[in-house]
Amino acid sequence: MGALKGGLSARRYQVMGDLPANFQDDAIAKLNQNAFRDALTAVHKEERLGWVQVHNLLDTEFDDINVWLYQQFATFSMRVDKKVIPATLFRAMLQKRQQIWCKANNRERVPFTVKAELKEALELELLEKTLPRVTIVDVVWNTTEGWVLFNSHSAAQSDRFRKLFHRTFGYILQPFTPLDFVADLPEVAARLLSSGSTDLRSVSEGEHHETGADT
Amino acid sequence: MSDDSKAEGVPGGPETETPPHIASDFYLWLWFASEVGRGQLELPDQAPFSWWVDDRLSFRPVGEDKVHAVLTGDNPSTTPEARAALAGGKVLRDVRLAMRRDDREYSVTLRGSNVSISGAKLPALVKTGDPAEILYERMFLYEELHWMVGTMFRKFAEERASDGWAAFADRMRDWAAGRGI
Repeated sequence: MGALKGGLSARRYQVMGDLPANFQDDAIAKLNQNAFRDALTAVHKEERLGWVQVHNLLDTEFDDINVWLYQQFATFSMRVDKKVIPATLFRAMLQKRQQIWCKANNRERVPFTVKAELKEALELELLEKTLPRVTIVDVVWNTTEGWVLFNSHSAAQSDRFRKLFHRTFGYILQPFTPLDFVADLPEVAARLLSSGSTDLRSVSEGEHHETGADT
Repeated sequence: MSDDSKAEGVPGGPETETPPHIASDFYLWLWFASEVGRGQLELPDQAPFSWWVDDRLSFRPVGEDKVHAVLTGDNPSTTPEARAALAGGKVLRDVRLAMRRDDREYSVTLRGSNVSISGAKLPALVKTGDPAEILYERMFLYEELHWMVGTMFRKFAEERASDGWAAFADRMRDWAAGRGI
């Protein structure tokens, strides 16, 4: 996305709960507290995530509401970083290091403990040289109507987002489903749920026209 | 900001999928209504809007989520292959629609069992300039798109839940088989 340009592939959520009276100040503090921060060391390999401004993924301060709150719309992005060492390259380099060690020590095989040390040293060496894989997903929150758009359909990203949103603001996000369109028509919703897929195969007289449950 | 713990549960629980037959029947209704009907909804005190199948249909077998056939290109919904897929027992998994209201034209894929909005092209009027203006406009257009999808779904749901659906399905069956309706 999506928030300001490009196509929209958004998952919609309902924010469960009411906003505090001091929403703006509260949100500034919470966004800053959960903003994206770079890892302290270059060899950090765990996934890191946090909020960044929608305008630039390097902007992580939310003190100025004019860059993230537009009337009722709060907009920011979830940034997820993870360093990934190419597995095939790692295996090949480790094999070379083991060959060098065997030659230098006049041994046929690398002892288990030495192999573990070589592996760890190589991992640190490559992590230091590797840039993280960076993912950005834009978020738009209609704070008046209480819905949020998250511009991704990835289940993994959605889970990260719902957890981070809850950790930041304390609100549970309820995913929108098509049945919400008929929330005021419970009998209609119940009949939809109890029906099956409409089968358009030609059938002999007297046969059923509807399949069973489609799960 | 902190490292994410995958062991930590998602507050509110895992996302649940709506039973897939609902979306498949909805997509079928949208297709049939645009091919055979007018593909238009007129509502009291509201500007009408219209829709038609755009350039992509994907099919799955009943009971599976995996796509088994995809038809793309110009007017795939009018091809014999598309109707043959239905007559062969497949159901729709995704449909790409074009929609128009007043002079605003949208293109969107409705995807999967949750009728997710995917790859939506909004009729952007303001393309550069003040981010606030761009955001307001995009959210207005998104809301209109969401409203149109919801309006179509409600219309479908009322027909699907009515006693007249069996007769309606017979008409769709004749149409899928290439018989006159």
